[in-house]
Amino acid sequence: MTRQQFLEELREVLSMLPNKEREEIMADFEEHFENGLEAGKREDEICEALGKPQQIGKELAASYHLERAETTVSPGNIFRAVWAIIGLGFFNLVIVLGPFIAVLGIIFAGWVTGLAFTVSPVLLIFNYIISPDAFLLFEFFFSLILSGVGIFLSIAMYFVTRFIINGFIKYLSYNMRLVKGGFKNA
Amino acid sequence: MNIQFKKGVLELCVLVLLNKKDHYGYELVQKISEKFAISEGSVYPLLRRLTKEGYFTTYLKESIEGPSRKYYHLTPEGKVYLEKLYQEWKDFSIGVNQLIKEGVEND
Repeated sequence: MTRQQFLEELREVLSMLPNKEREEIMADFEEHFENGLEAGKREDEICEALGKPQQIGKELAASYHLERAETTVSPGNIFRAVWAIIGLGFFNLVIVLGPFIAVLGIIFAGWVTGLAFTVSPVLLIFNYIISPDAFLLFEFFFSLILSGVGIFLSIAMYFVTRFIINGFIKYLSYNMRLVKGGFKNA
Repeated sequence: MNIQFKKGVLELCVLVLLNKKDHYGYELVQKISEKFAISEGSVYPLLRRLTKEGYFTTYLKESIEGPSRKYYHLTPEGKVYLEKLYQEWKDFSIGVNQLIKEGVEND
């Protein structure tokens, strides 16, 4: 592989990154080639020692998306980080995607339950409109209790969601540190 | 050697080298790959990450031979982090050495 090919492939993998970030990375590798050539190495030797540009690029991209997710917690940023880390290798698919689906499931179930409880009096009113004979005081008060529980559950879910998401981002960054490859025998 | 294991060690190596003096990227890569086999390209993601975490600062310096080089400098936060990793490494290696010694003596 030539220097040109290496840099082009790296640029390709980094195409999703902002310009500034990408150009900084490209400059680092340009510099690496300059120094290597100066030290009397051939282009193909330098490429060989660097490793695959795809893998290096993926790692840099995953690192960037994770950092974004850490600074600005938004669904988009988290999805991009998860996606980028999964792309690093099969092992990551197993240890990242599984917990991610579990986390989404817990958050989704909690919110659906909380919101359904909260609106249960409204559902009862609908029921009353549809069949007025079926109205029972017991059901009415029970639904009010459910609604109260639902409001508390929703408030709790707000904090639980934040807690779980922060925990999950920590888990991602722990994985990045530990798992990502890049070694000769990887 | 195990991949995960080397990953952590690579971080420690970079920190230790920068503790002695400022280095540019290529220099760091060469010094480490002289000691054990790495994919040299993987040092750059590591350098970027630790720089963003505030452990290094960077500056450009002209070289006599050619283009300017990006030097990495260890910050006080980086020194603290180095101390932590070094301590972990010491505890770890003492433990492993003890186990190896016991294992070899029992043979």
